[in-house]
Amino acid sequence: MLADSNIRASGPSPWQRLTRHLMRSWQLLRRQQKAMAGMGIVLAFVVAAVFAPVLAPYPPTEQNFMDAMQGPSAQHWMGTDSFGQDILSRVFYGARSALWIGFASVALGLVVGVAVGLLAGLRGGRTEWVLMRVVDGLLAFPELIMAMAFMAVLGLGMNNVILALALSFVGPFARTVRADVLQVKARPFIEAARLMGVPEREIVRRHVLPNIASPILIQAGMRISIAILLASGLSFLGLGVVPPTPDWGLMIAEGRGFVSMAPWMAGMPGLALATLLIGLNLMAEGLRDALDPKTRGDKP
Amino acid sequence: MVYPSLAMGAHRLWRPLGAIAQTALVLLVVSGISFMFLKLSPGDPVAIMLGSDFSRDSYDLLYRQLGLDQPWFQQYVQWLSRFVRGDWGMSYVSKQDIFEQSVLQALPVTLTLAALSLAVALLVGIPLGVLAAVRRNSWMDLLASAVAIGGNAIPSFYLGVVLIWIFSVAFGWFPSMGYVSPWSEPLTGLWHLALPALTLGAWYVGLIATVTRSSLLEVLEQPYMAAARARGEPSWRVIWVHGMRNVLMPLITIIGLQLGGMLRGAVMTEVVFTLPGLGMMITSAVQTREYLVVQAGIMITALLFIAVNFTVDRTYSLLDPRLRKNAR
Amino acid sequence: MSQASLQVEHLTLRRNGVAVLDDVSLHLPAGQTLALIGESGAGKSTLAYAAMGLVRPPEVQLQGRLMVGDVDVVTAPERVLRPLRGVRMGMIFQDASAALNPCFSVLSHLSEPLQRHRGLSKAACKARAIELLASVGIADPVSRLQAYPHELSGGMQQRVMIAMALACEPQLLIADEPTSALDVTIQAQIMALLLDRVRALGASAIFVLHDLALATQVADRVAVMYAGQIVEEGPAAEVLNHPRHPYTQGLRASAIEFDAERLQPIAGVVPPLSAMPGGCRFAPRCALASARCSAEKPELAAHDTVRVACWNL
Repeated sequence: MLADSNIRASGPSPWQRLTRHLMRSWQLLRRQQKAMAGMGIVLAFVVAAVFAPVLAPYPPTEQNFMDAMQGPSAQHWMGTDSFGQDILSRVFYGARSALWIGFASVALGLVVGVAVGLLAGLRGGRTEWVLMRVVDGLLAFPELIMAMAFMAVLGLGMNNVILALALSFVGPFARTVRADVLQVKARPFIEAARLMGVPEREIVRRHVLPNIASPILIQAGMRISIAILLASGLSFLGLGVVPPTPDWGLMIAEGRGFVSMAPWMAGMPGLALATLLIGLNLMAEGLRDALDPKTRGDKP
Repeated sequence: MVYPSLAMGAHRLWRPLGAIAQTALVLLVVSGISFMFLKLSPGDPVAIMLGSDFSRDSYDLLYRQLGLDQPWFQQYVQWLSRFVRGDWGMSYVSKQDIFEQSVLQALPVTLTLAALSLAVALLVGIPLGVLAAVRRNSWMDLLASAVAIGGNAIPSFYLGVVLIWIFSVAFGWFPSMGYVSPWSEPLTGLWHLALPALTLGAWYVGLIATVTRSSLLEVLEQPYMAAARARGEPSWRVIWVHGMRNVLMPLITIIGLQLGGMLRGAVMTEVVFTLPGLGMMITSAVQTREYLVVQAGIMITALLFIAVNFTVDRTYSLLDPRLRKNAR
Repeated sequence: MSQASLQVEHLTLRRNGVAVLDDVSLHLPAGQTLALIGESGAGKSTLAYAAMGLVRPPEVQLQGRLMVGDVDVVTAPERVLRPLRGVRMGMIFQDASAALNPCFSVLSHLSEPLQRHRGLSKAACKARAIELLASVGIADPVSRLQAYPHELSGGMQQRVMIAMALACEPQLLIADEPTSALDVTIQAQIMALLLDRVRALGASAIFVLHDLALATQVADRVAVMYAGQIVEEGPAAEVLNHPRHPYTQGLRASAIEFDAERLQPIAGVVPPLSAMPGGCRFAPRCALASARCSAEKPELAAHDTVRVACWNL
């Protein structure tokens, strides 16, 4: 008789398994040179961003027309711009805005996108079909252009940039989450749980969510570099962060006009941006390689 | 089944129809989003159109004329019917018909730039990928990886500025701005487009090289490659005819998928090099608050995207015989 | 119709330092068929590929001689070998569905060797293709010309591959397990077809097989391989009905007979290539092994019409 059969399966809960899985992934990651190099780069930028007030030799918006347009020197390691502001300090502070916008917009977009994707994937049927057509419609607009349109409606400024980018990310996230949910739904243990009478809400909480958590996190990680790229792009076009906030995109736009006289004005922030993006991409690739069973190298 | 052949025929008809129905719905959603955008944009279109001095009556009149007093859904239908007829309104800044400005003038520029950049990317990327696959783990492989990562990560607007600095300012070989249509004056046009195409192409080169390399690596393992060699085919033919034919599909997939990235890069490249394409148009429209123009811009890009995806889907069956629906 | 013989002398093939083929010697007179049998990993397919000149430096190192007709595959440069592939020696692969390019039609496949080696025009190719398809037993060949590989059944795919291999009438045909991937009912048909075509051309053939019974039916001569070496070789009837080498005896005994009472496997497993024992490679699994067996590697010695590598004879 199954009188005292405990419906909860004994053993670690899916959340515990997820934690263990993440720990194992971290160990695998450590062996990946690519990811480590990327992580190192990103970490350097995070440190620069967090400790900008301490590390920056000058206040980023201190203008000094006597020293304007000077090349890299002992006093100004990256030179000065047309207003006499120290570029190195501005690069440090620019890291702040870049990283903040990157994380915030991805986090926001993630929350909404996951909600939509979960709804579509779990409900299925007509709800899913309609939701996915809407998502397809959203996805038809290239992200930058959609962000530009949002900025047109919302107005400029850092918070609006975050909002605009987050909205542009809802589509991609929703699509990925739905695909992941569908994959998990098809697995036998979901069917088994349902047959045992486990309520739907609990199935979602205990079984579906932990299994989609890691692919979503990876996606989110990869999105951050796109977010930073888009944010800088918007600022470059004059549709993003407003001066005098130090922002790499803004600095490159300013520097563009002076490229013949002071190439470092655009060159330095651009180098910083490119390096950060390369670091993020390396990390994402390394992460993917580490978690991909084919390149894992662990014994089956 | 009384009429099996009829039923089968109808079924065969449904397949492409299903795709068209889906596309139609997506188009509807896209138009809805564009309309919402217009409705949500700040500013009072009536006031803008009337200029500085106007009376209450003329305001009301124009308001009714523009149909702004009607429920949103009706406004949407009106807008849609005008849109599909090509009546997209007038731009106050340039005093031009928006349809003319965007589709007939700006779009061809962007398309030309995109096509040229794609060509550059393919010409450089495919051989790079093939080399990396054939000489695996050699320095060429490493070079290809470096180019891939670099090209992908460096933002187009930055690369554009760098290229201008190197080739325009320092060497003076290429112009840094301006557009001449290569369709009317090939040499001058291409000369002006050289740096922009390089900038935009760089982003794609990495992608194409990577996809080519990984697909080819898989293909090289396949028995039909060894079989071709066993028949006496020379190595170059085995790779380029037998191998690449099977690489085309993943390649085209990735090109289609990354179209969004290409458009993004195009926007930035156009602004850096001052090319009068869609990107430039949308950017200045946002800056001058010309929402009608912005709306035209986003509609065009969305339609372009959908059209390209649709076409890419159709070409799959051309490329891979396994996907063709035949009545076997 | 000229014929090619196969003469292998002390062929050693190393991949990554490991000897995949070790001092292999065999001789196949022109016009005869040879069955290469042995377990997976014994080196049979490698030998077959080597005979086609498809495994070459720098991926591998070759020593010894491998004569196909008058050409030594080991030393001949690529530009000498390439015109011979498909013309002097042809190959049939195990998995026809994977050996046919999914993007090309049957006609494209058949036209390729015809255009390259015989320089036929498109129309002539088409005509010859129809002939070839008919000769391999494909009914209504004209309708099959535009078909793609995935539209054909397994047996049909194999027939197409046979037609391709025979298109330029090679003098040496190498078939790498031509029927393993097919349904049992079709296997006999395809083997019969293959034999028939080979005999019609008067060509020599090498069949790589793991089925002993099949080997008896198709081959004039049999060579048994174990761990990269040839352990027994001779006329088919002799080798298979009166096996002398303990390994061959074990193979025969372990072949599942219809009315056998028990399965009789050979004890032990094949040692990994990187850790081969010195002396006789079969010694660890051999009931007759002596001290000499573990110390000295036995050479192939003639016993009547058969050559065997064993100290215990």
